[in-house]
Amino acid sequence: MHALYLAWQYLVFHRLRTLTLIACVTLIAALPLSLEVLLDESERQLLSRAQSTPLLLGAKGSALDLVMNALYFDDEVPELVSMRAVDELWDSGLADPVPLYVRFSARGFPIAGTTLDYFDFRGLELAEGRQVALLGEAVVGATVAEELGLGPGDTLLSSPQTVFDLAGVYPLKMNIVGVFERSFTPDDLAVFVDIKTAWVIEGIGHGHQDVSQVTDNTLIMQRDETGVVASPKLFQYNEITPDNIDSFHFHGDTGAYPVTAVIAIPHDVRAGTILRGRYLESEGLQQIIVPEKVIDGLLQNIFRIKNVLDAVIVIVGAATLLALLLVFALSLRLRQRELQTIYKLGCSRATTAYLLGAEILIIGAVAGVLCLAAVFAVEAQGSDIVRALFIN
Amino acid sequence: MMKSTARIVSLCLLLVSMAPSAAERLAVYTVNYPLQYFAERIAGGQAEVVFPAPADGDPAFWKPDAAAIGAYQRADLVLLNGADYARWVAQVSLPNRRLVDTSAAFAGRLIKTETGVAHSHGAGEEHSHAGTAFTTWLDPQQAILQAWAIKRALVKKRPQAEAEFEGNFAALESDLRALDTELKNILSNARGQALLASHPVYQYFARAYDLDLHSVLWEPEAFPAEEQWNELAGLAATHAATWMLWEGEPLPESVARLEQMGIGSLVFDPCGNVPEAGDYLDVMQANLARLRQALTGGAQ
Repeated sequence: MHALYLAWQYLVFHRLRTLTLIACVTLIAALPLSLEVLLDESERQLLSRAQSTPLLLGAKGSALDLVMNALYFDDEVPELVSMRAVDELWDSGLADPVPLYVRFSARGFPIAGTTLDYFDFRGLELAEGRQVALLGEAVVGATVAEELGLGPGDTLLSSPQTVFDLAGVYPLKMNIVGVFERSFTPDDLAVFVDIKTAWVIEGIGHGHQDVSQVTDNTLIMQRDETGVVASPKLFQYNEITPDNIDSFHFHGDTGAYPVTAVIAIPHDVRAGTILRGRYLESEGLQQIIVPEKVIDGLLQNIFRIKNVLDAVIVIVGAATLLALLLVFALSLRLRQRELQTIYKLGCSRATTAYLLGAEILIIGAVAGVLCLAAVFAVEAQGSDIVRALFIN
Repeated sequence: MMKSTARIVSLCLLLVSMAPSAAERLAVYTVNYPLQYFAERIAGGQAEVVFPAPADGDPAFWKPDAAAIGAYQRADLVLLNGADYARWVAQVSLPNRRLVDTSAAFAGRLIKTETGVAHSHGAGEEHSHAGTAFTTWLDPQQAILQAWAIKRALVKKRPQAEAEFEGNFAALESDLRALDTELKNILSNARGQALLASHPVYQYFARAYDLDLHSVLWEPEAFPAEEQWNELAGLAATHAATWMLWEGEPLPESVARLEQMGIGSLVFDPCGNVPEAGDYLDVMQANLARLRQALTGGAQ
């Protein structure tokens, strides 16, 4: 007990050196442990999401981009496919398709255009409000609601795609009608709208004054018995309200409308296998992938990097330990007179060893506690750190 | 005697216990009354079929409120008429996996109607908001196909009741075929005969029975404006009709003035909404009786 007291007093007196030693030991211990925690969390997040998504249909190209956009709402937009791909999946009778159009964002959060089937499929429950019902309505994930302070009754403006594209996508003011319960998945970070609303943001669907009733001649470029050509000045609504919702309409063939990906939910294993076989032919413009396999490949790359990092940590750790030993050795030499004094005061060599051991014990204990605290902190924030580091 | 009574009672109890409880019954929502009728006939006790539109309007132009949309969203099946019927469907979010487009089987034979001038936005592609004739069920053959789509969706949803659905569908199909046969018999005499319709809702009916039908835009409960009468007089020069089909009972003044022009009035209720009395087949039988009376003078 006395040895601990004397060791503590000594360490407090040499506080700068003590803090340096504690920091070195803490870092050496906390770094590999934190990395392990983060990798476990990233594996859990990536894999569980991928495992819960049986098949993903998209345009041929980077399978990783497709998975990251469809599963984690990454802002890298893959090549688009058309709604015809969704119809073909329906008609195949092998799987239920859930289309996704994840291309736009609102205040830094992705807007996911989909159908109500997505919420059933992911098991998303409402914490407050109601489900999207009308064009222009949105339900936000728990993190979006928390960080932007949004709830039912609020509005959220979609972000223009580029600042300089004045003729590009108009922002749409969306009405927030619900907030999902926290799911600890990327769904917490998304703004969900009906896919038709996403097409309105795209400009495929829009609402405007009835051109056949317009009296302002500056809005009409040409009018005859067969048709009216409106000028670009014709005002298009940027908010969907009960008063103007009937004016919203879509142009062209609905089968040609874009989607970024289609989640295919096969009716059984056999149907899934048949479906995959159909998309294997090289001439097709679409691919069907198993997200779990793509994420497995990604994780293997991450673990390869982890092995390199582990090696670096081992080398740095060994060097640090050697440096610590040197510090202790030098410290003993510097404290030679002090140790002699202790000896002359009547302390045995064993007591001197106790004193030095107590110092090492205190440094180790404090570093251990700090290391545990750091690992717990990383674990607590692991979900967000992983999303920031590996997903977004 | 006691023994047989006990047997009957036990059989009844057994049947009652086998019938699905309210919680086990499928919740089926429809967008018009004919689909509700077909679904009720086919599903029997396996489903609760709901058509939430108010009874006093045209369901084609009804718009559900948020509560009704929520109910549609929670339904096990939502039966759509297709053919642009109930345009509100395009403006709301419904679960695709539970939607059934009952007219998909004859989507390629739907009749397009122009409802507005073509227009374009600046240099954009010119387009028009063309509509589609939506009273598909007035052609009984199409009605059978719609009923078949309902049966298929129900079987997919509850395969264990397939035999019941098949039996019920066969009975409904037989009724609709009988209706078709009767209509053919009556209308064979009217083939090529000029007819008028107060509203453009009889396109499929006219096509099915090869009728020379021309529609105006009159409402049964409103006396047409003088301009509309003039238009009708102009039309009569090229389309000498002797009968006008009405969706509902027209005003006596309208009937009288039409009679002065040599045009009789005949109610043919499309039955898009729940009838005040009877069911879909009753309404169609009443339509048949009026047609028979008008076109054949009551001869069977």
